Amino acid sequence: MPQQSGSDVPELTPVAERTTPHPPRRGAPDSVPRGPAWRARANRPAFWSPWLFMLPGLALFAVFFVWPAVQALQLAFYRYDGISAPIAVGTANFERMLDDPRFHEALVNSFLFLLGMIPLAVAVPLLLAVLVNQRIPGIQGFRLAIVMPVVVSMVAVAVTWKYVLDAEGVLSWIVTSLGIADEPTAWLLSTDWALPCLIVIEGWKSMGIYMMIYLAGLQAIPSDLYEAAEIDGAGVWHRLTKITVPLMVPYVAVTSTMAMLDAMQVFTSVYVMTRGGPQDSTMTLGYYVWSKAFEDYEFGYASAIALVLWAIMIVLAVINYQLTKERR
Amino acid sequence: MTARTRRRRTSTLAGNYVLLIILAIIFIGPFVVLVSSSLKPATQDVFSFPPDFIPRPPVVDWFIRAWTVIDFPRYLLNSVIYVGVMVPAYLAVSALTAYPLARMRFRLRTVVFFLFLSTMFLPGELMLIPRFLVVSELGLADSYAGVMLPGILSAIGIFLLRQTFAGVPQELDDAARIDGCKEWGVFWHVMLPAAKPAFAVLAIFGFISVWNSFIWPLVVLKDTSKYPIALGIAYLTGVTGTDVRSLAAGTVISLIPVLVFFLVMQRHILEGMKGAVKG
Repeated sequence: MPQQSGSDVPELTPVAERTTPHPPRRGAPDSVPRGPAWRARANRPAFWSPWLFMLPGLALFAVFFVWPAVQALQLAFYRYDGISAPIAVGTANFERMLDDPRFHEALVNSFLFLLGMIPLAVAVPLLLAVLVNQRIPGIQGFRLAIVMPVVVSMVAVAVTWKYVLDAEGVLSWIVTSLGIADEPTAWLLSTDWALPCLIVIEGWKSMGIYMMIYLAGLQAIPSDLYEAAEIDGAGVWHRLTKITVPLMVPYVAVTSTMAMLDAMQVFTSVYVMTRGGPQDSTMTLGYYVWSKAFEDYEFGYASAIALVLWAIMIVLAVINYQLTKERR
Repeated sequence: MTARTRRRRTSTLAGNYVLLIILAIIFIGPFVVLVSSSLKPATQDVFSFPPDFIPRPPVVDWFIRAWTVIDFPRYLLNSVIYVGVMVPAYLAVSALTAYPLARMRFRLRTVVFFLFLSTMFLPGELMLIPRFLVVSELGLADSYAGVMLPGILSAIGIFLLRQTFAGVPQELDDAARIDGCKEWGVFWHVMLPAAKPAFAVLAIFGFISVWNSFIWPLVVLKDTSKYPIALGIAYLTGVTGTDVRSLAAGTVISLIPVLVFFLVMQRHILEGMKGAVKG
């Protein structure tokens, strides 16, 4: 019997002749249900039918993904202010990055952001998930409390934290009354503290979502594993490090990738709270790209930086994938 | 269970609650500070050592001021428009695109599917500038359409609905065809009803992300009267200056719709977040 993969000619084999299941077609994923021949015929649409369904999606894809992606690549090699005609400059934009101190500052800050975010997004939420995975009264309320900042806009979160981080705010009061510091600090105006504050706020805002991801994983672990370990005399710490953490590695792959991509692109919190200051101490790559493009109207240079940022993100994602794959 | 282990259990339980309460304070506390600042009268300091969170007496003046100093109703209305148009459009486009990818056989199907998936690797930061230029070239800069159109296509929506449609039993499909349904009929009468839970999850997360959207409207819009609420708050920070009470009040107003939505939909939201990994 000839294979008619992908063609529009209907199957001619009568149903009665079929004893074996329908042979798989080339290019047809397993998820598509296969039935007897008449079903396959019924499911074989006119050639234009799928394309008509996908028309709106394809149009949006072409206009808002393909076209801009091509432009993103091109612009990086041009000087363009948004008004006069673009001028081809070769690799000048990339060379400029090599001796642009603000770019270096942004690069360093973005990596510091990443380093700070990883424990907040990967480790702390796992502990939170273990804590809220207990069946005790009122636990749903505590879960909701931790998830609440996730659904709130970053702008509102940033404004909210300004009240806590004011020189005379709650944090200053806690720190001075505990005797950690002698006098109040204007946290967001300090070159030492502004970046750590932003990292903690971004972590605080997104912890809930990472916690829920881990919670899904924890609830998939069969409870007899823990019971067996408990009978063998394993304590809380042992159960956590020997059972929970190894089984959570696939979920760590998800949370670490999400956290990494978010950390490298951080923008809104910087925009609302510090505008990159004081003295560029919170200048991140995400903010620098925006500022170069929409404050200085250097679209070409900003695009080149965005492209470098994209390359960094892809490399980090691949490294992350390899690291978590080996441990599975 | 011996008396000793029971005692130990009780003390761990108490310890757990102490931890949970500390966590709740960390996650809710900043919002309490915000609400208290928004209600304090002019005679009471917003900041003090030690902090004083009880407004004496609570006043609504700052809410009235925030509501009028910027065009608050307008921003809320804009956000309602953005959500009202973008979320249904997002669901419709995702479903229409996912259906052939899940249930039809045609040339290039796998290629098309991976093309859509590849958009996940084009982060917002990279697309920001070129998309702005494309939107400008189309004459959509500073317009509602310019804010909305680029946000309608999402790989996640297509992916999730494709999975859902592929899981619909073939018998339902066949039955509809025997009753005389064509492709559209199968899509409308079989697939859409079967995918209701998936639509609910997508709609909820769509609502939250559109309501909170910030950077794209910031880039596209010059005309403040088209601002969504999140941009309105950022604008308010500039307008209020040192009037921190009004800023707090405005921010509280902006939080109310999304928090009410969250509390009403909490079960679906928590399930949806968990499903995000499995899906």
